[in-house]
Amino acid sequence: MSTCAHSWSMTGIRSGYLVVEGCYHCGARSSFFSTEPVAPVDEYREGAHFWEHLAGYQAVTFDLRCDSCGKTIDLSDMMGLMLSTCDDPGCEVGRLSLELGKKTSIYVALCADSSHAGGACVSDAGVKALTEYFNQRLHSRRRSIVVVPCKMCDRIDRCTGIVIADTGLTDFY
Amino acid sequence: MKISEVVNKTGLEALTSWDDEELTGVYISDMVSDIITGATGCGLLLTLQTHKSLIAAANLVDVGAVVFARDKRPAADVVELAEKAGIALFSTPVDTWSYAAKLFELGMR
Repeated sequence: MSTCAHSWSMTGIRSGYLVVEGCYHCGARSSFFSTEPVAPVDEYREGAHFWEHLAGYQAVTFDLRCDSCGKTIDLSDMMGLMLSTCDDPGCEVGRLSLELGKKTSIYVALCADSSHAGGACVSDAGVKALTEYFNQRLHSRRRSIVVVPCKMCDRIDRCTGIVIADTGLTDFY
Repeated sequence: MKISEVVNKTGLEALTSWDDEELTGVYISDMVSDIITGATGCGLLLTLQTHKSLIAAANLVDVGAVVFARDKRPAADVVELAEKAGIALFSTPVDTWSYAAKLFELGMR
């Protein structure tokens, strides 16, 4: 087990598009990060799903690397970050927000499959490193940031929050 | 340089309440995806972007103050979100380049 008190930096910053798709058959949502010059908008069938394009946002993805020990955390399973505004006591994120109070901002790390049908989400190591990284960047000692995986939301499709994405910048394509 | 000095010397209009914190630098961007990778804590962010996403990004990287160029003004719910997050918002009537030049003349880098 590492004894390094990691000092994280962003590495492998990739610019591209966060593409959101929906299945008009079952209502499922899926997203992926595309580095193509123009975000794909094709409809296609994948198994039982009929995916259609819902939205595309300019976005970035990145990994984290410890400046001290060189450990790298792969964050390719994270599609974006959302500032949670949830205060629903019926949702685990909402309960956490109520418990931690106004001085703590909760950011939800969004994975590709909002249904979590396959059980996968942003890794625990990724969530831990993101929390450490963003708190290391804070100059204001009176506040803190907590990053949680989107599987913690009661229903991510209905979750209230603000996704960090460049909304509207691809509307002319 | 303190926020108060920047406010007084560049003629900013405050859109929220603010604490007189020390600003450590300047970052100029209209893309939130760029801000989370490039802006630094306690810096001044100069932008035209008034969307809620901007506040979510500025809060994440601990921006000290946001200045909207060309008299841009965010909607009331954006101002409310900034107040909750403790992010100071200001507006200037001049364009981004002219305001950046003012900051440079003040010695900000």
